[in-house]
Amino acid sequence: MVSESAERPQQAELVIVGNGALGLFLAQELTERGAGSIAIVGPSTSETGASRAAGAMLGCFGETTTESLRTDASRVRFELGVAAHDRWPAVLDGLEEFSRTGRPLLSAPDTHVVLNSIGGELDTVNYQAIRAALDEYDKPWQEVDPHDIPGFNPRLDTRSLSTMHLPTEGAVDARGVMEALERKLRAAGVSFVDATVSRLVSSDDVVTGVELEDGRVIEGQNVVVAAGIQSEALVRTVSEDIDLVPTFPGLGFAMIARRSGGDPFRSVVRTPNRGFACGLHVVPQGGGLEYYGATNRLVDTISGVTWMADVRFLAQYSMQQLDERAASHEVLRWLSGNRPVTLDGFPLIGWLPPAGLYLMTGTYRDGFHCAPLLAEHVANELQGKPGIIDPMFSPTREPIATRTVEWSINEYVEHNLAAWFETGAEAAPQMTTPQLTEYYRTRCVQLYDQLNIDYALGPDILWYTQGSLRGARRVSRYLRKHGGTSTPRPETARVGSGDAR
Amino acid sequence: MTDASTPSIVRKLIDQQLNFVAHGLQLKDDDNLWDLGMTSLTCLGLMLSIEETFDVELPEEVLKESTFRTVASITEAVDAALEGVLAER
Ligand SMILES: Cc1cc2nc3c(=O)[nH]c(=O)nc-3n(C[C@H](O)[C@H](O)[C@H](O)COP(=O)(O)OP(=O)(O)OC[C@H]3O[C@@H](n4cnc5c(N)ncnc54)[C@H](O)[C@@H]3O)c2cc1C
Repeated sequence: MVSESAERPQQAELVIVGNGALGLFLAQELTERGAGSIAIVGPSTSETGASRAAGAMLGCFGETTTESLRTDASRVRFELGVAAHDRWPAVLDGLEEFSRTGRPLLSAPDTHVVLNSIGGELDTVNYQAIRAALDEYDKPWQEVDPHDIPGFNPRLDTRSLSTMHLPTEGAVDARGVMEALERKLRAAGVSFVDATVSRLVSSDDVVTGVELEDGRVIEGQNVVVAAGIQSEALVRTVSEDIDLVPTFPGLGFAMIARRSGGDPFRSVVRTPNRGFACGLHVVPQGGGLEYYGATNRLVDTISGVTWMADVRFLAQYSMQQLDERAASHEVLRWLSGNRPVTLDGFPLIGWLPPAGLYLMTGTYRDGFHCAPLLAEHVANELQGKPGIIDPMFSPTREPIATRTVEWSINEYVEHNLAAWFETGAEAAPQMTTPQLTEYYRTRCVQLYDQLNIDYALGPDILWYTQGSLRGARRVSRYLRKHGGTSTPRPETARVGSGDAR
Repeated sequence: MTDASTPSIVRKLIDQQLNFVAHGLQLKDDDNLWDLGMTSLTCLGLMLSIEETFDVELPEEVLKESTFRTVASITEAVDAALEGVLAER
């Protein structure tokens, strides 16, 4: 290992702020191209980062929802995942020799997607969307008997209605990959600075470096901010006027457990994306370890805390929907991390107005998977070559619109119903599904009225906004400036006008 | 002339949300709005309209339900924020 003093350069051609998947894969891409000196700045603990908490499913089809291919913009985003998927075999080939886990970095080669009845109608339509997408992109899948899935042993009341096997979509050991990457980069001469950047340094509208919390400055010809959910605040240290699409912390919780008996899972087993989150999943880690994930909760402040409700959610539903025997598994690690969630749901990738400053973040729930592809794109841009992804993800764009307000209200209702049923609501004569639907619908219509915006938000942002005064203020302020003027909402949005989609 | 003091504007904004006047209710300064029909969403709308009308940004610490409990508590928060704005100038 490089000594501490040698680890602290005062200068590098490129300074990368953030030691998550995006920062490390970018550094790897550049070192492989023989580009100049690189310093990666980030605390070795990475407390609130996402990458080391990730399930690291290499999922694009398993992540498909009814929204994924509905608009051109969503399709472009979806195809990032498809393209990223092809990069992984070579990535793993190049990393395996630096791994010290004693297990393959590809911890599961394939995925089973399970449709059970607990997640509401949302599960069914997303399950169908997965199949349709697989067919459209000519990818292999097969309907299988759920009894044939190793490890899968749900309780009777949540047994599978239908199950499909995705033979080419698996998962990697996120923590193993991050360690191997770091080892590889150190060997290639990349400097790791175990510190937190307090602000970006600029002069005459050119970013010239970063200042660390202890006051030291590292100069760089270019600075890439890849600090996950902290990125927006860091960019603001150079100017309050940069008009970024806002980001919100998507706090997620997951656990790594040691199996205490029974058949181990050998594939990723997951539900479709559902109820504001990424679906329930188990990812084999090798060596008798299993990753159970994950919750997603948009919050006001970035932290590494775990909510009691999220512990219950994950433990109870893992036992119920994945494997009854999980009850006696030993929890070895609790993982929590913050997904960088943007207001419009699309990533933020591109140069910013002060020269020399590049931003890459906003990857939400598949940033680990997309990291090698994004690295290739950003490396090109840094080297003055044409990029490989659509320029639509520029961080200072107007928010991308993919839905009408009416559509958004329906989506919000569907997600709430899915969450309602998954969390165990009982049938009661005074609260039928249409009544529940109407309740959520009324609430959402009222929320749009109060926010006085006509940009249609995603269900997760709506859920956050309705529960947080801070969130509501941020969203409404930003949108009143950007495509969210006080024009009246479309005629179609009315209280109680029928069933959800 | 209309009364342009903070409490009187606050009352007007509350009334836009909760419609007390139309129902003949005389709102007292320490009436608990949460007992009188305020919900998280009307509170949200009230907060946005207060900030817009007074052209202030309430500090994050006061963005909580208890701030919006009474005419008095809202007035206090608004006046403090207005003083902050003046101090900056
Ligand atoms: C529970 C959970 C499960 C997930 N599952 C998956 C999955 O299955 N598949 C998938 O593809 N994606 C998944 N994701 C999403 C994925 O983890 C993220 O999209 C991705 O890791 C983001 O990488 P990043 O490098 O941008 O950010 P991060 O991993 O957050 O890294 C940013 C780094 O910057 C550092 N930093 C912050 N501030 C500063 C500063 N001021 N100075 C220096 N350094 C700083 C932090 O310490 C952190 O290490 C999951 C996320 C969570 C939370």
